[in-house]
Amino acid sequence: MRLLRRVFLPLVPPAIAVAVSIGLLALGLALAKYPALSLLREWFVAAVGDRFNIEVAIKNSCPLLLTGLAAGVAFRAGVLNIGAEGQSILGAIAAAAVATRLLPGLHPSGAAISTALAAAVVAGALFAGIAAGLELLRGVPVVLSTILLNFVALQLLGVLLEGPLKTHLTQAVQSDPMPGAFWLPLIGGSLVVHAGVLIAAAAAVLAWGMQSRTTLGFELLVTGLNPAAARYAGIPTASRQGLVLLFSGGFAGLSGAIQTLGVGGHVLTPTPESYGYTGIAVALLGRLHPVGIAAAALFFALLDQGAATLETSATPLPHETADILKGLITLALLTSASLLANRRVIASQTAMEGTTKAGSAAEGRAV
Amino acid sequence: MLEMRHIFKSFGRLRVLEDVTLAFAPGRVHGLLGENGAGKSTLMNILFGLMAADAGEIVVDGRAVRIGSPRAAQALGIGMVHQHFKLVPTLSTAENLALAMRERPGAVGLRAEAWLERLGWKLPLQVAAGKLSVGQQQRAEILKALLTTDRTAQGKSGRTLILDEPTAVLTPQEVGELFAAVRSLKAGGDSGGAAVIFITHKLAEVESVCDEVAILRRGRVVHAGAREGISVGGIAAKMIGEAAAAGPVEAAVRGRAKGPVKLALRGVRAGMLRGVSLEVRAGEILGIAGVDGNGQSDLLAALVGDLRLRAGKVEIGGRDCTRMGIRERLKEMAVIPDDRHRLAAALPLSVTENLLLKDYRRRPFSRAGVVLPGAWRRAAREAVRAFDVRTEGVSIPLARLSGGNQQKVVLARELGLAGKAVVVAANPTRGLDIAATAFVLRQLRAARDRAGGGAAIVLIHADLDELLGIADRIAVLYNGTLTAAPAKTKEAIAPLMLGMGG
Repeated sequence: MRLLRRVFLPLVPPAIAVAVSIGLLALGLALAKYPALSLLREWFVAAVGDRFNIEVAIKNSCPLLLTGLAAGVAFRAGVLNIGAEGQSILGAIAAAAVATRLLPGLHPSGAAISTALAAAVVAGALFAGIAAGLELLRGVPVVLSTILLNFVALQLLGVLLEGPLKTHLTQAVQSDPMPGAFWLPLIGGSLVVHAGVLIAAAAAVLAWGMQSRTTLGFELLVTGLNPAAARYAGIPTASRQGLVLLFSGGFAGLSGAIQTLGVGGHVLTPTPESYGYTGIAVALLGRLHPVGIAAAALFFALLDQGAATLETSATPLPHETADILKGLITLALLTSASLLANRRVIASQTAMEGTTKAGSAAEGRAV
Repeated sequence: MLEMRHIFKSFGRLRVLEDVTLAFAPGRVHGLLGENGAGKSTLMNILFGLMAADAGEIVVDGRAVRIGSPRAAQALGIGMVHQHFKLVPTLSTAENLALAMRERPGAVGLRAEAWLERLGWKLPLQVAAGKLSVGQQQRAEILKALLTTDRTAQGKSGRTLILDEPTAVLTPQEVGELFAAVRSLKAGGDSGGAAVIFITHKLAEVESVCDEVAILRRGRVVHAGAREGISVGGIAAKMIGEAAAAGPVEAAVRGRAKGPVKLALRGVRAGMLRGVSLEVRAGEILGIAGVDGNGQSDLLAALVGDLRLRAGKVEIGGRDCTRMGIRERLKEMAVIPDDRHRLAAALPLSVTENLLLKDYRRRPFSRAGVVLPGAWRRAAREAVRAFDVRTEGVSIPLARLSGGNQQKVVLARELGLAGKAVVVAANPTRGLDIAATAFVLRQLRAARDRAGGGAAIVLIHADLDELLGIADRIAVLYNGTLTAAPAKTKEAIAPLMLGMGG
């Protein structure tokens, strides 16, 4: 019963949100005179019935899982880091800088990759650290500074790709290709994916362990739920929130690096894929729990991949349909969460009255 | 004539108003008195349409009316000035008034000017409300209440103006000007005199401005009549309870020597506190009486380390710890803050987690930063047993427990797990039923009397009856100043609480 409550109950709001959103999308498609049901079926089959699509989705879910973790660890501690996008760009820049300019000859592959990843983590964390510092020293709300720093990161990427990181091989605005030693190796048997999967999974395990098994995780949890009580319990909330922002930035930085070192042409381009923003939705759908975030990341990546196939179906749908569905899910999730919160308040009040009655009757005898 | 007849109101199991019947006549200032939680605000919120009564009726000029919203109240000529202002800070006064009237600012300006002239007030109508002083904001609020009831006040029922503790935020000069305005409204003019309902704690104000006095105690009317009919001492006794006011409370004679000074404040200036000094010895309870809002929350914050001192020192165990943060002070100090839901616990967390909210860092609860859940659960089960917490289990959220049991969890954490040398508690029985209250007081006594050096306890408490029953010494905090009570009797303490004598 307890297991059921702990594992099953948290799944209810996301499940409802997804079901309602698919329903709404189907309704919208039907109103637009699309064959909604057959399109949904086609979408589903394309997403999970095609080996190539699954492989790509798993690859794409890696950066999404990491930005999801970035948002998740921060949100859980009450820190609204909306800057995973910028932090992940900084991670990508750091990885590309190490691979193409600073240490291009680094060997063997293990050393090369871990150096690039470490640089990315540090870059992402430091970039988030700007927001942490602004909050700590000047009281600038993190939710504002992080979102604004996203644009700074994007511009910085553009400047670097026009300047010190620009390739001499083509006229295109992009970096040199990463040297082979920096490519994430391919792994797997029946499904071929890159080693980023292992890194992302390790990050999720690390985040879970930190949150649920360390005193720091407990401090962050209390801070997120009730900062005033945390302060009165002696938890230095400001510095803990600053610290979690660094962690969060580190995860996001890792995400950018994995994308740069693990995908296709292995070059850095000035148009990132917005995994930072999608990570927020992933974190919400995953209910800020690392396992949930991993599942949500894979789900979103599968949606995207399936939608790409729909463009070539008999009644073609633009692949942006997947973005619409993601948006609907996020909205539905926020709504159901607040509805449920209200119900829970009412339920706990009723429960409270019951226990008071029982409690005071029993105490009456004891006094 | 406005009447409230047989009004009842409960929040859950807590009875807030019981059979309250009061009449408010035009041309009179009605003082509504009572301690915190006596039900004054609830009664007025019902009159202003912000809450519905469980039973009872409101009668205007002999006709029963239904007041379902503030707008309905205004239509009946009832206006209210809340303790906490409800102005939009970025809008000018004229715009705020227009917002309340649902009219254009230009249309409202003239009428507002007319009122200002009549009351002899100056108020810049075009300045953003957020830039006004507190006294000016209050004037804007009063204007709002007057304008929204203007149309109906021309009718026969007249105007009723509710002022909820209006002087709490004012300087003495502003208080004088407010009183002048109240008298002018009462006298009326073209539109007839208004009934003014004046909520206050301060007896001196009752004397200078009120014509009628109604006193609530624990949701019941314990006195209503003309002000001449009752003495100031009588009002204090009625507010605080006659039975307890009857005689001196026997100080418990205990045959044990008090220990060394464990906690001291020396000339502390911080927030509202204006040079507060105190000493508490091991094995004694120093009770801090007083009405909330006289520096109580600042005193708690200064003791805990959550408020920067402008001057003065805090000493714990003889050590100067003025510059220490909360975490360091908590090594020696247990804290039971009065705002349980905000400061003492995290309701969504489990009973276990709340019990370990402060001790999670030490062994056996964690090692090298890694928590050991087994030890948490064992300690939690033990604490739940020792403090008789009624709960389905230690892993359910604290929110699912009753208020009394939540407070037991806090007590178990603060008094049970580690016996700290110093205990600071603020209103630890607020909102609890009789049994739970008795339990809390028993635990505080046990901490004071425990073997091997009792705790030095500071008990900041609004309930004077309970303080008299448990404290070894009592001091009164009024308007940021702490005064030792000359005797442990109600007669000696009550006037100090209300800013008289001392």
